[in-house]
Amino acid sequence: MNLKFKNSLRWALPILFAIGIILFLPEIFSIQDKETFYSVHVKPIINKKCISCHGGVKQSAGFSMMNRASFFLKNESGNPAINVENPSKSELLLRINHSDPSERMPSEGKPLSKEEKKIFKKWIEMGAPWGEHWAYLALKPVKVPETSGWMGLLGRKEEKENAIDAFIKQKLNENNLRLNPEADKETLLRRVSLDLIGMPAPKRLAEKYLNSNHPNAYKNLVDSLLTMPQFGEKWASVWLDIARYADSKGYEKDGSRQIWRYRDWVIQALNNDMPYNQFITEQLAGDLLPNPTEDQYIATAFHRNTPTNDEGGTDDEEFRTAAVIDRVNSTFEGLMSTTFACTQCHGHPYEDIKHKEYFQFMAFFNNSRDEDTVEEFPVLRHYEKDDSLALLKLKTWVNKVSTPQRANEIYTFLKFLQPLVYATHADKFVNSELYDTKYLVFRKNSSARIKNVLLNGETRFIAQQRGQSKKGKLTIHLDSLNGKMIGKMDIPSTEGKWTFTSFELTPAYGRHDLYFRYENKSLSNDMESGFTLNSFHLDQNFPGKKIDPLRITMDSIYWALLLKNPSSTPIMMDNDPQNTRKTQVFIRGNWKVKGEVVSSGIPKAFSKNYTLKNPNRLGLVKWMTNKENPLVSRTLVNRLWEQLFGTGIVETLEDFGSQGSLPSHPELLDYLAWEFMNKHKWSIKSSLQEIILSATYCQSSVVDPDKIKKDPTNRFLSRAPRIRLSAEQIRDQALSSAGLLSTKMYGPSVMPYQPDGIWASPYDGNKWKLSEGEDKYRRSIYTYFKRSSPYPSQLTFDGTGRNVCTARRIRTNTPLQALVTLNDPVFMEAATHFAQKILKTTDLSVNNRIELGYKILLNKKITQAKLQPLVKLYKDAYTYYKVHPELVKEIQISNPTTEDAAFTLVANALLNLDEVITKN
Amino acid sequence: MNKKRLSIDEEAVLMDAQLATRRLFLKQCSMGLGALAMSPLINACTNQNISNAETFFDAANPLDPKTPHLPGKAKSVIYLHMAGAPSQLELFDYKPELKKLDGQLCPESLLKGKKFAFIRGVPKMLGTIGEFKQRGQSGAWVSHYLPHLAGVADEISFLKAVHTDQFNHAPAQLLMQTGSARLGRPSLGSWVTYGLGSENANLPGFVVLTSGGQNPDAGKSVWGSGFLPSVYQGVHCRSHGEPVLYLDNPSNVDGNMRKASIDAINHANKETYKEFNDPETLSRISQYEMAFRMQISAPDVMNITDEPAYIHEMYGTEPGKESFANNVLLARKLVEKGVRFVQLFDWGWDVHGNSTDTSLEIGLVNKCKQIDKAITALILDLKQRGLLEETLIVWGSEFGRTPMQENRNGLEMPFKGRDHHADAFTVWMCGGGTKQGTTYGETDEIGFYPVDGKVSVYDVQATILHLLGFNHETFTFPFQGRPFRLTDVEGTVIKPILS
Repeated sequence: MNLKFKNSLRWALPILFAIGIILFLPEIFSIQDKETFYSVHVKPIINKKCISCHGGVKQSAGFSMMNRASFFLKNESGNPAINVENPSKSELLLRINHSDPSERMPSEGKPLSKEEKKIFKKWIEMGAPWGEHWAYLALKPVKVPETSGWMGLLGRKEEKENAIDAFIKQKLNENNLRLNPEADKETLLRRVSLDLIGMPAPKRLAEKYLNSNHPNAYKNLVDSLLTMPQFGEKWASVWLDIARYADSKGYEKDGSRQIWRYRDWVIQALNNDMPYNQFITEQLAGDLLPNPTEDQYIATAFHRNTPTNDEGGTDDEEFRTAAVIDRVNSTFEGLMSTTFACTQCHGHPYEDIKHKEYFQFMAFFNNSRDEDTVEEFPVLRHYEKDDSLALLKLKTWVNKVSTPQRANEIYTFLKFLQPLVYATHADKFVNSELYDTKYLVFRKNSSARIKNVLLNGETRFIAQQRGQSKKGKLTIHLDSLNGKMIGKMDIPSTEGKWTFTSFELTPAYGRHDLYFRYENKSLSNDMESGFTLNSFHLDQNFPGKKIDPLRITMDSIYWALLLKNPSSTPIMMDNDPQNTRKTQVFIRGNWKVKGEVVSSGIPKAFSKNYTLKNPNRLGLVKWMTNKENPLVSRTLVNRLWEQLFGTGIVETLEDFGSQGSLPSHPELLDYLAWEFMNKHKWSIKSSLQEIILSATYCQSSVVDPDKIKKDPTNRFLSRAPRIRLSAEQIRDQALSSAGLLSTKMYGPSVMPYQPDGIWASPYDGNKWKLSEGEDKYRRSIYTYFKRSSPYPSQLTFDGTGRNVCTARRIRTNTPLQALVTLNDPVFMEAATHFAQKILKTTDLSVNNRIELGYKILLNKKITQAKLQPLVKLYKDAYTYYKVHPELVKEIQISNPTTEDAAFTLVANALLNLDEVITKN
Repeated sequence: MNKKRLSIDEEAVLMDAQLATRRLFLKQCSMGLGALAMSPLINACTNQNISNAETFFDAANPLDPKTPHLPGKAKSVIYLHMAGAPSQLELFDYKPELKKLDGQLCPESLLKGKKFAFIRGVPKMLGTIGEFKQRGQSGAWVSHYLPHLAGVADEISFLKAVHTDQFNHAPAQLLMQTGSARLGRPSLGSWVTYGLGSENANLPGFVVLTSGGQNPDAGKSVWGSGFLPSVYQGVHCRSHGEPVLYLDNPSNVDGNMRKASIDAINHANKETYKEFNDPETLSRISQYEMAFRMQISAPDVMNITDEPAYIHEMYGTEPGKESFANNVLLARKLVEKGVRFVQLFDWGWDVHGNSTDTSLEIGLVNKCKQIDKAITALILDLKQRGLLEETLIVWGSEFGRTPMQENRNGLEMPFKGRDHHADAFTVWMCGGGTKQGTTYGETDEIGFYPVDGKVSVYDVQATILHLLGFNHETFTFPFQGRPFRLTDVEGTVIKPILS
């Protein structure tokens, strides 16, 4: 054989083979794959066209498609749906092919398509193999596809490529597409900065990278960005959407909530690269860890971000229940991309989850001490330094003179004000009332009851109360108004101020209804309030021997600390074992109609071979983070992907279930999820780094008509995506380029400029008060978030309402967005300073100045074609402002000139360029 | 319409087709705003025949006008929500028997198993203060509180036995406006905007106007977009300052300079499009053009000073003030300009009787004076313009009031007032395909429970959607793994009030 021919054959054969593979690939791979045929091909049709009548809720003609067995049972037609021996005799096939529309299935809507019919036929011929839904299959190590060798002909392996690229290239090859070449350094610099720190990289880092030819320059840049404190700020805003973090309570008055320490905790945890399994463990169950730290308590505020309702007349139990349900749904949707909210009312229509299982899961969250009270109990009280030391001293002393348990009780009460019995439980009112459905108010000759209180021989009744009158007497009786009196106390006037007061109690034991009787002859009439009780704490005598001289000091420390009103954070804390709250099924989802009592458990569909370690939130999170559970890691890596590429590998971040979308790259998703748990040991930073170093990430975003045709929505990633920046990024970028952005981190939320009259929630004296100094220019994550009236520009740019867990923001495009970046005073102020920065930097020509401005924003040189309209704008503006000095005067700097005015307009235009509000 | 979200590929086909028309458009129109001023907006250039295959959401042109399931009689809605809940027993639900029971203790049987927001123990019955008469040909009962409205009673369809299951303001307002008592669902207006798009690209598709000095109890969530894309949220137009937030140019920029800068931005963006070929850049270009048009046209529409004197007289408007009457007139102007959903919230109707303002004797009289003339004028004005047939007016609140006098905290109240009542209240509709001069539903002799024609909040919502051409059962958006709808799993269209 002629050598030349032989050589060309060597090339040609693999090419021909490869083309063959491409042409027949889908057929070969999918049709033969028994394991996945059902979940990939059959189940989507069933869900779309059949399940609403033949599912978990409705079973028309006695036929359900929820499990394999039911296909083989006789239904009302007299036949089973499937006949494997004689597939063409299958009732299912007869029905979908029926010529009579009244007999044909689906009974409503169009008949199935040819392809759909073919899939059912094929499936039955294969023996109707069943397959579990992809998302619930455990993770296994995934083999990275081979892209060198003969496949390499279609896409040469570049130096920068990693395993991720192999998966991406495999799909690209199948679709006759290729990765774009690497983006230019300037674009890449901005892209990776926006992705990792949410804002432009610091100048020093940027220049170092741009000026380096070192092969590791990019990796070094990525590593540096990953260590910046701004990393945590950027990624926390992603997390806060899931946590539905806000600075207010939600309903009606929508009063302030002090929960910003939780936001700071998230930023710190992300900056410290806390392993993700620990990250969610602390948030879901930090309080249940052995000897939890203050930070671990703060982490549990994750699930205290639920809205609460202080409106007078509302039923606390209703909103407590709503919060618990919200915790269930958020845990599933936000952390496990699964929505099973529908099982609140009935069995799941698409997945095998039962109604009861919802409430078993709810039981994990149903034992917490929060009850929609105004004070947001339970809270973690943050004592200042000296007070913290005093508390420690007190605890140590109690430990010495009494028992560790006693020391712990006293510490817990001072630190958390728990346990408390809330007066909102009162009933049997006689001339007493729950004032504004919040506080138990006693008037002349009044009484009320608080049911079922566990007594343990306590000798002190420490009441959180206010006395509005002198000379009142309160007595406490067991089990009836005239029952055994265990307390008799003179109620002093506190002049209407809330305080804690201790009264003596006769020890009693067991569960009792407590009857409170209040008498006060000095009250002039029946209507006048004498005494108001908010809550009480039952306690033993203060420890220590009476002769101990330290005891008096310690007792006064105790009272000083108790009466302090330090800032606090709502946290999770469970009822003690004797007071565990019972969980019952809500019949048809109605919280008022309760059924069977259930204990905590995980739906079977997700935990086939798993035994729960503890029946509480800690047990729950152990299940979530065990490596057999694929949902948590798949969800997280999918979210990271979505942040970087604009669309998740599974587009529906909130739902991996069979109603959600299918992964575009299933093997890649599994690879990332597996590596995340095993190789990266749950490190978000390492996982991000791996993705960001891939050639897929680094490629250019330029697209040609061929790619638009073959990959119109870029599902195959034949180019880097262009994504409009988030609300936070847009504002932070503007402030940063203007040199205004404050680097101050943490602390109470701030109030940057907001037009008057935005806040108008009823009965709420709170006002938007413009922050002072650099607080006006803090990163957007620190902007005060009022639920009933979120910061306008945040909302316009698709920020979420933070009322419920939101797994992803849907990007929209409206003229109102343009109005924000053009006209919002925040953006005009940024433009003014941006202009000044450029004007002051150099004594340059107009062209050079615009070039500089563009370079500050995009790192690169502006093209002539883009420069021209901006230069024209400057010149036109200069001429115009020359004859309109009244407009020039309005520039918010001292002695503004025509030049200042014209350049401010140009700076404003620069900040509005498509390239600038887009990640390129 | 199917229930599933547009798949990415289907979306792409759509986008591609739109792009083709846009490219053509870009070739035909020069990029300057001057040229654009004479030509239709980019949006208007897209092919109307590309129907929304599966959902009503088209990411590229979310606000394009869309066709509902069926031709609806109503093309737009003006929803007048009296936040706080007026007393139906003083305005529309005439109960002579209740008057006889005035001052007597409420029978225990009525209280058994009932929960009230503020009533405690055994309250007293409170006879109606309204002086009622039957009005017009239809003989609808309207009291002396609303003398003007009484004159147009023959235009109205009254629902006298509406019930809800929430008796606190915030959750009840959410239920009424979003179909759920919890935060997080899209509002009626955003559903409608999602389904219909906007007739006028230069104005927001869903406008919210508030009066009475406060926002509704449930906050901006009652016009929020919930899980729908945020583009469908209500735009709160303001009575003071710029009508739409950030519509006004900053003080150092005037219209000419704004035009010049948008021109420059779009010129540069056109270059960016050449560079990246990204269709999003084209959307950005049209976004800036629309913003500019909105700047030009919105202030005109939002300005009522140019209305003739007789119109001001008719509505009782006072330009420059924040008032319900001004908002009603604005609503008419907006509907005329193609806005599909105008939502008014008027604060101050919570007639508990704990102060003058919340008393039935004084507070309610004043509130009624603020709305009576304006609403009547709206009905007559729309009618004379031939717009009433295609404009649905809805008047209502989140719940009604009790036939008992409130005894908050178990005490006697300084004024006559009533507590929140979820079981029976009045909502009325007018125009937009409703039957004129109808009364549907009846309550018992003290107005406590419905006895006939009982309808729920969901039924009211289903009826509004029906009048707009939507089947409320198939009008859905995929969320949390299932198709969600405004009426959840409830709702029946109230056929007796359809024309």
